[in-house]
Amino acid sequence: MNLQMVGCTHRETGIDIRQQLAFDYSQTLEALREWQSRFPDTELLLLSTCNRVELYATGDPLANELIKALLDYRKVPVEQVEGRMMTLSGNEVVKYLYRVTSSLESMVVGEPQILAQVKQAYQSAQEVGSTGPLLHGLFQSALRTAKRVAGETSLHKHRVSIPSVAISDLASCVFESFDGKHVLVIGAGEMADETLRYLRDAGDAQIHVINRDVQRGQQLAEKWDGQYHGWEELWEQLVAADLTISTTAATEPIVTTANFEEKVVPGRYQRPLFILDLAVPRDFNPEVGNALGVYLYSLDDLALACEKNRAARAAELPAAEKIVLQETKRFVAEINHRATGPVIFELRKGLERPKNAELERLFHKLPELDDESRKEIEQFADRLVNKMLHPPLKSLQDASKNGTQHGLLDALRSLFKLEN
Amino acid sequence: MDSGINMFCFSASYGVALALEFSGLWARNRIGRFALLFSAIAGLIAHTWYLGRRVAEMPAAPLASQQDWYVLAAWVVVIVYLVLKLYYPRSSMGLFILPAVLALVGISRFATKTPLATFQAPRVWGQVHGVLLMLGTVTVLVGFLAGLMYLIQSYRLKHKQSSWGRLQLPSLEWLGKVNSRSLGVATLFVGGGFFTGVLSRLAHQGEQNFVPWTDPVVLSLAAMFVWLMVAECFRLVYPAARQGQKVAYLTIAAFLFLALVLAVVTWGDDSLHMGAETEEPSVSTESEEPKVSTSGGRL
Repeated sequence: MNLQMVGCTHRETGIDIRQQLAFDYSQTLEALREWQSRFPDTELLLLSTCNRVELYATGDPLANELIKALLDYRKVPVEQVEGRMMTLSGNEVVKYLYRVTSSLESMVVGEPQILAQVKQAYQSAQEVGSTGPLLHGLFQSALRTAKRVAGETSLHKHRVSIPSVAISDLASCVFESFDGKHVLVIGAGEMADETLRYLRDAGDAQIHVINRDVQRGQQLAEKWDGQYHGWEELWEQLVAADLTISTTAATEPIVTTANFEEKVVPGRYQRPLFILDLAVPRDFNPEVGNALGVYLYSLDDLALACEKNRAARAAELPAAEKIVLQETKRFVAEINHRATGPVIFELRKGLERPKNAELERLFHKLPELDDESRKEIEQFADRLVNKMLHPPLKSLQDASKNGTQHGLLDALRSLFKLEN
Repeated sequence: MDSGINMFCFSASYGVALALEFSGLWARNRIGRFALLFSAIAGLIAHTWYLGRRVAEMPAAPLASQQDWYVLAAWVVVIVYLVLKLYYPRSSMGLFILPAVLALVGISRFATKTPLATFQAPRVWGQVHGVLLMLGTVTVLVGFLAGLMYLIQSYRLKHKQSSWGRLQLPSLEWLGKVNSRSLGVATLFVGGGFFTGVLSRLAHQGEQNFVPWTDPVVLSLAAMFVWLMVAECFRLVYPAARQGQKVAYLTIAAFLFLALVLAVVTWGDDSLHMGAETEEPSVSTESEEPKVSTSGGRL
């Protein structure tokens, strides 16, 4: 199988090199067009994400030529990436692409974004027209493999980032829906921002931001269509909140047990309050979690949940690898079988010719035969040819499953004097 | 018309569904979920067939006897379970609901098959009384199970055990809503059942035209109704009791009253709801001998 892949990933190269080699959407289209004229008989597809830049190709170009094309476009000197570029060929490319699409090669194994990125890369190549039958087949089967891995294993079900675990795994145990929920964000750090991103995906919550730095607080509130409140409204907001996310850089707890019991508990009437204390050191005194209806989770608690999920994902890896292996074998067998097509066609043609000639001779000798008898004799001849062809074709089919069909193909060609 | 379907058939199906729910705590897969649903639906079909046969045999069925009443209550709970299973296919609610179904079917084995007195009272009141009390029982039971799940879910979240094996429960918010609504709805059903029972008694002809207020069944039912009323008033007056754990405790207490009423009805003086004058034997659908009541019906 004439397949090649060159590129670099987070495993071999640092972010500095990956950034220099990264392609955005328009650059991808432009580069593919440029390479099409450089390698006219080659199918090409470029996959560029923050963790990998990979060029998939079929046909004759050497791996070095493909690497050079990649580096030339991004104007990166060869010396800078020496020994850090990965090259794969043949069946290795199939297995590798299946692993990439199924998120087994991702930095965070099981992350779902890679599937969309592979789809996007495939669509871009289709848009330019740089794909052909081999890459079409390969990428479609890669997407099918990823779907199988997602459906038949729970690799993607265990979330591993702290904000995703906090919102999707824990807060959803408290709230049926986030629509209309009063969400209080204390602090305007990156973690708050990321958590709000997950929260927005989960539902239409009412976001209220409290921050000492008014400008940053207002920016965050604006970004998420929320409302900014001054620091003095902290207790009032805690009374109204359903979910609180705290991420300040305060060196002492901002909510002590005494304050909470005095200023918040009486106004809440034991209404459930889910608190995500994502600050280090903690913003909430741990004893606050003892109050009735209060569920307080610190960064440590969440990290523990993430770790458990990571372990659960690891346990799913063998099942995912098995699917990748099955699909790789299937694709390789299919491609090999396709390669035997012309030989089989020639072989049939070679036997059809004497069959037809012999039938003609026989019918000429026996003109008294009626139509039905002629039909019967024709069917007999067809069956005979098919039965004679069955053993060699079966052997060819078995050999193509194992990728060892070349010897048989050569033998058939020379035995039956077939055209190349 | 004996089709061979008896209580054992559907109980066994529910038992298999429960075993599959348990196995889901260790290994959850599509085949297991399908088998679980298949068992529960097969049980429901057999259950419905059984009740249908009772209706064909007894004009007042499926509320003709205490036993029928329990079997019908179990049937309603199974429907609730299947509806919830459609909405929450991955949840482990069956671990709570199916034992309640099996318990209702199990208790029905101890309950009498003698026709209820309401059978002889003006039929509409008798049937409304029976249906309302059955729905009240189911509602209290559902509220109790939701309360139990609420307390377990709350404990897990408090103690950071949310990834506790594969036991998946609905959110606290949903459980709290079911909990709190079940109390209100149960008050209406039990109250309605109680008053229609009184009306049904008063509509009796002859000597039985009175309400036996000192009867243990009447007393326990009245106590349960009063408790539900008090719980509702408490929730109206005290905001902290409108949601969260307090509602869960209130529904659990309501269930204790229900258990008391059912115990009194089933194992206590069984003359209260019995038919008397006609001494009409119940038609047996099982192998046991039919009971014939000789005492006077009272409610």
